[in-house]
Amino acid sequence: MDVLEKGFSQPTDRIKALRNAIYDATPTVEADRAELITASYKETEGMPIVIRRAKAVEKILNEIPIAIRDNDLIAGVLTVSVHGCQIYPEYSYDWVEKEFDTMATRMADPFAIPKDTAKRLHEVFQYWPGKTTSELATSYMSQPCLDAQANGIFTVGNYYFNGIGHVCVDYGKVLQKGFAGIIQEAEEAKANLTPLDPESIKKQQFYDAVIISYRAAIQYANRYADLCSQLAAKESNAARKAELTQIAANCRQVPEHPATTWWQACQSFWFVQLILQIESSGHSISPGRFDQYMYPFLAADTNISHDFAQELLDNIWIKFNDLNKTRDDVSDQAFAGYALFQNIQCGGQNEDGIDVTNPLSYMMIDAGAHVAMAAPSFSIRYWNKTPDEFLYRACELVRLGYGYPAMYNDEVIIPALENRGINLKDARNYCIIGCVEPQVPHKTDGWHDAAFFNIAKVLDVTLHNGRSGKTQLGPKTGEMKDFQNLGSLMVAYKKQMSYFVRLLAEADNCVDFAHMERCPLPFESAMVDDCIGRGKSVQEGGAIYNFTGPQAFGVADNGDSFAAIQKHVFENKEVTMAQLAEAMDHNFGYDDATGKIQQWFGTGGGQCCSSDANMDERQIYEAVKRILSANGNIDIDQLQRDLKTGTENCAAPASTGDTAQYQNIKRIMENTTWFGNDDDFVDQITREAGQIYAREVEKYKNPRGGQFQAGCYPVSANVLFGKDVAPLPDGRLAWTPLADGVSPRAGCDTNGPTAAAMSVAKLGHEIFSNGTLYNQKFSPSALAGDDGLKRFEAMCRAYFENKGMHVQFNVIDRATLLDAQQHPENHKDLVVRVAGYSAQFISLAKEVQDNIISRTEHTF
Amino acid sequence: MEIQYQTEGDIFDIQRFSLNDGPGIRTIVFLKGCPLSCWWCSNPESQRRRPVVMYNEAECLHCRRCESACKQHAVTFTEDGVRHFSDDICIGSGDCAAVCPSQALVMKGSRITVENLINELKKERSMFRRSGGGVTLSGGDPLMQIDFAVELLKACKAQGWNTAIETECCAERENILRAVPYIDHIMVDIKHMDEEKHRIFTGVSNRLILDNIRAVAAFSPITIRVPVIPHVNNTEKEIGDIARFAAALPNVQCVNLLPYHSLGENKYKMLGREYKMNRLSAKSLDNEALEKYRSLVEQAGVPCRIGDES
Repeated sequence: MDVLEKGFSQPTDRIKALRNAIYDATPTVEADRAELITASYKETEGMPIVIRRAKAVEKILNEIPIAIRDNDLIAGVLTVSVHGCQIYPEYSYDWVEKEFDTMATRMADPFAIPKDTAKRLHEVFQYWPGKTTSELATSYMSQPCLDAQANGIFTVGNYYFNGIGHVCVDYGKVLQKGFAGIIQEAEEAKANLTPLDPESIKKQQFYDAVIISYRAAIQYANRYADLCSQLAAKESNAARKAELTQIAANCRQVPEHPATTWWQACQSFWFVQLILQIESSGHSISPGRFDQYMYPFLAADTNISHDFAQELLDNIWIKFNDLNKTRDDVSDQAFAGYALFQNIQCGGQNEDGIDVTNPLSYMMIDAGAHVAMAAPSFSIRYWNKTPDEFLYRACELVRLGYGYPAMYNDEVIIPALENRGINLKDARNYCIIGCVEPQVPHKTDGWHDAAFFNIAKVLDVTLHNGRSGKTQLGPKTGEMKDFQNLGSLMVAYKKQMSYFVRLLAEADNCVDFAHMERCPLPFESAMVDDCIGRGKSVQEGGAIYNFTGPQAFGVADNGDSFAAIQKHVFENKEVTMAQLAEAMDHNFGYDDATGKIQQWFGTGGGQCCSSDANMDERQIYEAVKRILSANGNIDIDQLQRDLKTGTENCAAPASTGDTAQYQNIKRIMENTTWFGNDDDFVDQITREAGQIYAREVEKYKNPRGGQFQAGCYPVSANVLFGKDVAPLPDGRLAWTPLADGVSPRAGCDTNGPTAAAMSVAKLGHEIFSNGTLYNQKFSPSALAGDDGLKRFEAMCRAYFENKGMHVQFNVIDRATLLDAQQHPENHKDLVVRVAGYSAQFISLAKEVQDNIISRTEHTF
Repeated sequence: MEIQYQTEGDIFDIQRFSLNDGPGIRTIVFLKGCPLSCWWCSNPESQRRRPVVMYNEAECLHCRRCESACKQHAVTFTEDGVRHFSDDICIGSGDCAAVCPSQALVMKGSRITVENLINELKKERSMFRRSGGGVTLSGGDPLMQIDFAVELLKACKAQGWNTAIETECCAERENILRAVPYIDHIMVDIKHMDEEKHRIFTGVSNRLILDNIRAVAAFSPITIRVPVIPHVNNTEKEIGDIARFAAALPNVQCVNLLPYHSLGENKYKMLGREYKMNRLSAKSLDNEALEKYRSLVEQAGVPCRIGDES
């Protein structure tokens, strides 16, 4: 008798209709924002930049076309078309122009650009050469810094070409005081300025900019009120007419004034969320601890029914999905899935260390089940005192297979933040931004997605004496054949890491200065402490806590490579470093369809392994899985090895001489216990491979007065950046995907999910205070029934007890994913956790899909 | 309670996150040696007490290091590089696997003390504690190494863990009763009620087994597991006989029917042994038949599970 399992109700017809409207929409680019900001910039040349930004926001909010979606209970859209996006030329624009003809058909996140829109954008772009943040940033960068980026060591592309975002503003302040209250704050601060302070000149400009922006934002809400009134007047359906009339009334009350009902609180929240994404193209605008600042308005609204309150919440959930953003073709492969990373949380403790899970926390879990779409990124905070009932409920939602909620461990994150100088009360109140990044809400400019840093590429360069292919990129630290022991190799690795992290810090700080000088954001800044107190924007260092958080991936690749070298070269002496180097430079005797091995090392790969073999592997795997799920204790290690050799050995008999020898070396290197099996030796060396990066990163400061802090999560860049990495000593072939976040390499955690979790927990997550990401995948059968829920809860608690920081789950069977690749039209509702966020599976690039499918599936 | 932590035993695998062999999240320790040699056994490497070497041809580099390493000359290569292995000469020294540079030769079986094994099992202790899980002894038949099994069970109990055992109950009564006080869940196999058929397909009579099961069930709750094997016990009469036997015992919690699968077949090849089930050309079972057996068991008055359903 299952008693823990409570099940989920169906969403209302309205919610279903709103959801279908988004699924049915073709994401389309609109030109209005780009036109309006360009017109405004032309009018304000010569003015202080912060005023120019405010005037631009004013013009956009006054003139951008608006709409009310059918069935919507909450007003406010980014584009007239459903799921469309705007363009932000002040950050970068040339990639848009280049993709006018291809964006509709590209592999990742296609967008339609109507001919007329392309023409309007083309006109607008004439204004921008030399004026963007990206161009200013480039002009600050040194040649070695640009070279490192061009060779795939790292990218700072996120903020290089777009706004920053990655903030949780003070939604609570707006709910309680309204935008009028913020204008009043700015006016009072302005009145208190003294001419004795020379800074007061700039401060006054900032306050004026805030006042201009918020007045325009109030006016923007009133435009929606007017529109709703007009629509209500024409509406023949009495129920809808009443709704439109109420939405109009809501938009006149909020966000200008405090919210007086739950409906108004939802409306006020939404205007904040929307306008932030009109002001700038920065993504990861994260609502944070929504159940904390919103609940008082629900509790006080004694007239509303539970069902309607839930429907309004579900409606907000849908609206997160209506927002959209386009990026350049390459970035969209790294951020695949039309993702905006609006991370929203429930549960956890307050600043006094008391658990504050409340009824809204449970309603948010229901909203996740009702809406079942990629956005928002939904998380729960876990700590030792998390109520069992709440954790069971969260596990029940995970089990539905939408990839959320992700879970975050207070017991690791709070000390990690304190270690960065954050006081205990603030640390306890942390929220999650974007993928996995902790910050103190409305007090932090975290710059969390500052870079993707490819530490596997650093190993590749280390093993080639500082070269990437033929290019001397880093310092000369020794040829691979000359390393006599693991210690000397690690010394070289550390030197290379130190060199490239320095370039990374340079690149980030160049971009940081560019945003400070060209794109201060007055609307955002007034909701981040202590910008009004300090009289400056977030971009100029107005926040209380300032960080720069570049994240690494490839940790497991490096750990596994070090372990394999130690075992087979230095201990067992089965292979010499020279032989290994030669095999690697021949792609271990395997075919290289790209021809890059030839260009880089002047060698050819072998001719082996056709892609047809993969089909066989799938079929065998499927058969085995079916039987395994029925019964039996089978040596799973052995099965996986059988499958692997089945594919890789296909041409071995035909290969001759050197090719066969290189393939043998690959097999010898692969006879290693990998990271992810709870083996202390490889786990510790993997930990060190990552910590070397993190310790280098935390040495640097940013121009806003804050510190660099490392993260360890890939979004989906582990696939994209694998394309720059030559073969590695762990037997990984050239250009294939790297390990994802802190997870073991795909298919290498053969001792089951608990052993994998224990390995991951050993990495020392505290130093990665910008966040770590651990993906686990389960088949539904392992979690079925009350027994499954209990086991699942136990696993979560045990992983966190062992100091894991974050975990998220894909609970989907492989057959479903394969079918979705073949028949995307049947799987529009399939949402998977890609790495820090959920995405519609069919919208992902094929390679990202394959990577998800190949992640170890734990079925028993 | 005194525990002999230095007691040594032979095991061939440790499997974490097992969900179908007792409550909670469990780790299974597979002990070497089995008094039976069932045709369908999916862990044939478990049957001998001594270590055995499994050979995976796909991984073989044909470097012939195993040939030089084997003092018994159990491994030879022909002129054209085909490897030949003589199972009857092999003594399980493991010398060949030790020099194999790839994963072609893998030793199944290693000697370990209770102390070292407990340290390995401790890696999962937070999972045991949080889930109410623990350790399950399987095999082979753990009772073949009775001293080791008893000390290991006691050591698990000393950690506060739940314990379970999967056994054939084909051992001396006295030995079984030494272990029983330290076991929370006993899972015992019954393959067939007919003595002659039992002897043909498992190599031993079922008389001792059935007597032991009666004795254990007198004072300990047990689960009876029945592998349902085509051409062996795949009829209503044969399953019905087992169900009636189970129903007559006092403490049977459940009869668990385990449908036949042939996933072990490849292991026979790797051991250089014959997979006798091929003589029967056995096919997997259909759900309809299994459901019929379920109702037979339930009609006899015993709860029934099929496979790993909960």
